[in-house]
Amino acid sequence: MMQRKRKFKPAQPTLNAKWRTNIDDHPIGLAWSPDGKNLAVAGVSGPITLFNGEDGAVQHKLPGHALDTMAISWRKDSRLLASVGQDGKVRLWDVETGRQQCEMDGGASWVERVACSPRDDMLVSAAGRKLRLWNSSGDLIREYPDANSTITDIKWRRDGRQFAISAYNGVVLYDPSEAEPLRRFEWQGSTLTLEWSRDGKYIATGDQDSTVHFWITDTGKDLQMWGYETKVLELAWSFNSRYLATGGGTQVVIWDCSGKGPAKTRPIMLEGHQRLIKHLKFQRKGMLLASGGNDGLLAIWKVKKNKPSLLVDATFKAPIAGLAWSPDDRCIAVADESGTLSIAAVKR
Amino acid sequence: MMNTADTRVPVTVLTGFLGSGKTTLLNRILTENHGKKIAVIENEFGEVGIDNDLVIGAEEEIFEMNNGCICCTVRGDLIRILGHLMKRRDKFDYIMIETTGMADPGPVAQTFYVDDDMQQKLHLDAIVTLVDAKHIWEHIDDSDEAKEQVAFADVILLNKIDLVAPEDLEKLEARIKSMNSMAKIYRSRDAVVEMEKILDVGGFNLDRALDIDPKFMEPEYPFEWSGIYQLNSGTCEWAMGEGPDPSMGAALLPLANTGLAAKEATLMDAVLTFSEDEQELEPGETMRLGKGQFNQLILNDAGETVFNFTIQAPGYYMLFTEHHPDEFEARLRGAESFIDPLETREYKPDHEHDEEVTSVGITIAGDLQLEKINGWLSQLLRVQGQDIFRMKGVLSVRGWDERYVFQAVHMLFDGRPDRPWGKELRHNKMIFIGRNLDRAALESGFRECLAS
Repeated sequence: MMQRKRKFKPAQPTLNAKWRTNIDDHPIGLAWSPDGKNLAVAGVSGPITLFNGEDGAVQHKLPGHALDTMAISWRKDSRLLASVGQDGKVRLWDVETGRQQCEMDGGASWVERVACSPRDDMLVSAAGRKLRLWNSSGDLIREYPDANSTITDIKWRRDGRQFAISAYNGVVLYDPSEAEPLRRFEWQGSTLTLEWSRDGKYIATGDQDSTVHFWITDTGKDLQMWGYETKVLELAWSFNSRYLATGGGTQVVIWDCSGKGPAKTRPIMLEGHQRLIKHLKFQRKGMLLASGGNDGLLAIWKVKKNKPSLLVDATFKAPIAGLAWSPDDRCIAVADESGTLSIAAVKR
Repeated sequence: MMNTADTRVPVTVLTGFLGSGKTTLLNRILTENHGKKIAVIENEFGEVGIDNDLVIGAEEEIFEMNNGCICCTVRGDLIRILGHLMKRRDKFDYIMIETTGMADPGPVAQTFYVDDDMQQKLHLDAIVTLVDAKHIWEHIDDSDEAKEQVAFADVILLNKIDLVAPEDLEKLEARIKSMNSMAKIYRSRDAVVEMEKILDVGGFNLDRALDIDPKFMEPEYPFEWSGIYQLNSGTCEWAMGEGPDPSMGAALLPLANTGLAAKEATLMDAVLTFSEDEQELEPGETMRLGKGQFNQLILNDAGETVFNFTIQAPGYYMLFTEHHPDEFEARLRGAESFIDPLETREYKPDHEHDEEVTSVGITIAGDLQLEKINGWLSQLLRVQGQDIFRMKGVLSVRGWDERYVFQAVHMLFDGRPDRPWGKELRHNKMIFIGRNLDRAALESGFRECLAS
């Protein structure tokens, strides 16, 4: 029989679905609780569903925001979920009871970003140009002076001692214990998203003008990478801070930041998507990279300098709307724009 | 690839100065029974649901984008808001974007061409500009925004016509046409207009790239009249009576034959000739013939004035005059009798020399050479892209069976081959709307691209 001939080949990796459901909405946020027990999925029309990560049982359906939810973020201890939306509010939900614990004003009608500190109980919200720092009792710790333009992203450094925001004109770095910004990384362009390397040495940004920027946080020096097909919204660092995977087209472009850095090097290119890549996520402790595109393709890549390879892929019927590795790196949660939500384990 | 139905949601951009009636029109659109589910993006307000429809407030956020040699300004707020709106399950059939009275429509239009997500899900249908027929005179001379709003428009609604005299309205319409000859102009009071005139207009649709009234395409010339004469060798006299002006510009150019191509070539020479320095001629002096000889005929204070010229090579000649000869009872006299032109043509007067924002329409016969037209257009957009607001055209490229259609907003160019020419006469049409456009330079540049 045919199978016998294959006996000596290594087994092909597979994606084994653990559970699958449909939220009947366009998913805009997909986030595992840090303890890996729950998966929160926000739909664009407002409601946020809390699933048991193991079996997909619905723990709670939170009302979210009456006019569209925009973003969600877990508190470090996995007991609170923060959400922001177009009702101008920041809301904190008790995961145990499913009840809203606090409601705060974001400062403008659309609150687009929220990020909980990985260190303590603080969180930062952004609504237009308004940047606010809160504790998770809902107290306003600080309101910063308005940013120069709409804040497009907020990310904490891994140790929680700094956070960075992006907007038109670049990146601003803050220490949450100080009112004044630590540093400004200025760039005449519309910065859409940012991502810290794990070691905090680099901040990478994706820009509307089809470029990627690297900021070296110590020196403020920057590198610009261009040649992308379209704006870059997809950035993912490998856990060892060596590789930055970027989207902005149909190929995954990976910059190697080891040694002297990515300047004047040729990136690793991963081909396989037929349409624009929309999501990229590296494992937390491994070298697997997941990519999701407008073609509905989910691809899992093994990233290596000399021999990157596609391990396994799966096709969804609608463009991929979100990806999230479970904290133990064993499972990946994938959502498509039709609302399909699938949790699968990568078997090798 | 097969043409599939365009499922993208159309977007209309509504511009106009404060008080021009934008809000009235928007309210009309939202309440009219057109069966569409509309989302409106306007300034200042928050988000309000109205029955089926939705109104979202936006804070105008303009930024510059520099992508290689193309630079443009786009609206970041629209990219975010529309991006989010398109994720909703409750799909909208139509999106209206209202700009502030002082807004430049350029960045709004360009936003639809620089962002892939926007291009994939939305298409810009048209820019509709409301003009307050009474108060526009307070802005149109010195406000860049007012000029740009008129220049960018696919549809112009002259509103509040009940507040102005008919002759002022005619004057306004003529002025607006000189700035933007591409737009459809409607008149309204209280912003009452049929929805099909402002929705699904296809202003940026390549299939309708030059689906415009050909008389608006007629370029403006520095002369009002030309006549073709068949002349034998010998001396002729151009006799003029008293007229409305004490002098008149004129040029006499040889014409190879009476075919269309020859007439167009001579017409082009005449345009160039009229841009040369004028040579003043006192009564009785001899007119100079040929390309580059721009005669300024000075008339006697009263009675008839005669100028003469001598024809050495018999054949066809084309006389171009700044004003219509009838205004001066002017005629050509040969050795024995008056000579009447074989054919005459009147041109739309170019009275708006001082207009900063104008449209230039060019039509030429023949085929273009691909490399030349490509080179010329890219050079033109690189150098003058900031001043060319909009451009549309249909081109006949040598070796191509299909028409090539294109349109551009500043430097953002969008073009492709469309249907075959078939039996239609192959020709090239182009229209530019912009600031400080040099008609003669554009026309000669375009002509240089003809395949030789």
